[in-house]
Amino acid sequence: MRFDYYSEEQLLKVHEASLDLLKKVGISTSSERFRALLLDNGCIEKSKRILFTQDVIDKGLKTVPAVFKLCGRNDLHQLEIGQKKAYCQTLVGAPSVIDLESGERRDALVKDLEDTTRLADALDNIDIISPLFPRDVPQEIILTIETATCLRSTSKPLSICVESSRELKFIKELLIATAGSEQALREKPIATLPVSPVSPLEYGFGPAEALLDIVEAGLPLGIEPCPQMGATGPMSMNGLVAMHNAEILAGVIAAQLYKPGCPLTMSSRATFMDMRTGLALWAMPEMGLMSAGLNQLGRYYNIPVAPGGYCGSSKIADAQSGYEHLYNALMEALAGSDIIGSAGSLDNALVECYTMLVMDDEISSVVKRTIREFDVNDDNLAVNVIAEIIEKNDNFLGHKHTRKYMRSGELWIPPLSKRQTFEQWAAQGQKIEDMAKDKAKNLLAVHQPAPLGEEVEKEFTTIIAAAKKALM
Amino acid sequence: MVSFESLAQSVIAGREAQVKEQVQEMINAGADPLDVINQGLIAGMNIVGPRFKAGDMFVPEVLMSAKAMSAGIALVKPLMTDKELPSMGTIVLGTVKGDLHDIGKNLVGMLLESGGFRVVNLGIDIAPEAFVLAVKEYKADIVAMSALLTTTMLGMKDTIELIKEEGLNVKCIIGGAPVSKDYADKIGADGFAPDAASAVDLCKQLLSA
Repeated sequence: MRFDYYSEEQLLKVHEASLDLLKKVGISTSSERFRALLLDNGCIEKSKRILFTQDVIDKGLKTVPAVFKLCGRNDLHQLEIGQKKAYCQTLVGAPSVIDLESGERRDALVKDLEDTTRLADALDNIDIISPLFPRDVPQEIILTIETATCLRSTSKPLSICVESSRELKFIKELLIATAGSEQALREKPIATLPVSPVSPLEYGFGPAEALLDIVEAGLPLGIEPCPQMGATGPMSMNGLVAMHNAEILAGVIAAQLYKPGCPLTMSSRATFMDMRTGLALWAMPEMGLMSAGLNQLGRYYNIPVAPGGYCGSSKIADAQSGYEHLYNALMEALAGSDIIGSAGSLDNALVECYTMLVMDDEISSVVKRTIREFDVNDDNLAVNVIAEIIEKNDNFLGHKHTRKYMRSGELWIPPLSKRQTFEQWAAQGQKIEDMAKDKAKNLLAVHQPAPLGEEVEKEFTTIIAAAKKALM
Repeated sequence: MVSFESLAQSVIAGREAQVKEQVQEMINAGADPLDVINQGLIAGMNIVGPRFKAGDMFVPEVLMSAKAMSAGIALVKPLMTDKELPSMGTIVLGTVKGDLHDIGKNLVGMLLESGGFRVVNLGIDIAPEAFVLAVKEYKADIVAMSALLTTTMLGMKDTIELIKEEGLNVKCIIGGAPVSKDYADKIGADGFAPDAASAVDLCKQLLSA
């Protein structure tokens, strides 16, 4: 199933507008290394902005891999990024959580990082885990501790967003210790590392240097600016898409010039400002619509895409968050998404919520079911079966065609919601968020991730100690 | 002479050119500069504020009104050398060290200005030492710090500590997407605002206390 947001003609217009921006407005950067790379490859500097030429753009876009592997630390999880499978990724960077017991918002702690990661490890439809930002760890080495904590608490692939290269050395060492060797990590990368340059079209020192260092390390890169319509991008959706696409392409091209063939995703975050309050909204329908357009551009370039989609403005896990997350994620999946981020988020991707993560697992399940490829053939058209049943004045319950299809995945089996009689429901009278909360508690009570092994744990201790010494 | 009411309406409508024209006309006619400000320009902004809070005016419209008001004030300012310009207080504003995010802080600055404060916008990636220098130089009443990144929020704590070390008599307030009231309390800030509009109320409250 495939949805096109733009007609072919419209898509080319947006693409041309992005190229126009790259050629006429270009980017700015405070990283000398980033600047030199682009200029050495044929970009032009004009009043402190780096302008792209068609040659540089063509050269940079030619070598992007259409597909790459992302793996778990054991063989259970092998993702093919680029096959438009709408892998579900958890929210990155939330400083707060909704407490599972009290339902109150409070600071995120390292225990929450362990528990949300372990919960995501247990949920079948969550594929990639990104950390929240705990407040009770030394903030100077927060990413190092997050990476170690996530690796201990899940065997699924990770996504570790970095703002600069500051902790990159230690993140990489932890990943190598887990993978076994640098070679093993390159062959089976167990994490993607997104960077977030500032919109509009600016590659500050931290993100620019981190981008190059991630590529150097051979790890899959995410290019993830986050413009807001009307504030750091134009108020028109097409304008935002064209500008966002251009700033992401700038990173794609730089990465490819640095190391042709390096794996990466175009990780759009197309948000908008609430003009009544000035708040940044990650809500519907605008985010889903713009992401669908950006996904279509990714498809046109044959570059994997990873927008944020399990998000909205609701403050609690409720009906609003349910429809917001479904809308954005489904729009993006229908337009072709490799990864859809922000699962478990509330309040415009600022708060992580255990209950919402369980609800997003259910939404992810139906999103993936929706985009599953299918054949149309004589067997599933079932003309002969229908004729046979009617001729015999029978019903379909007893036919072997029914038995064959009922267990072949034709029907979606909800991992969370219940569809029993009214009376059965009334016995407990639970809302979906109540059931999700119970499920989160039950899974956290029993689920244990595959252990790392003593040797790896020892290496972790050494690496964290070294990070403390170097950075604190 | 054009009426103060008409000048206030031009501010509300965000018509910068018209505001300048009307203010110039008033100056030429010999109006008291303080009346031009209080009964014309600020009177207009006093309507804009509540309308914004009620959701009837949008951020870009408030921005236009604030710009129009500032343009008017710029014209009467040279005539007021002897008198003090009316000001609610001086606020030093900046995004903390390591953080390159501009827009939220600028929005706060704009609303503070439209609320009658004098705002010194230091920009982004501002080290604690630079905040301290600016507080001294501009005799600030309030330091307002912004951060978007969870990893740069620490810069707020460092700045507040340095300000206390220096013994400066200035209130410190913080804001930004990842910042909470809990965090403000924890690092000893005098206040926290969850959005730009409430930052204005917070500053008024802090300086009237």
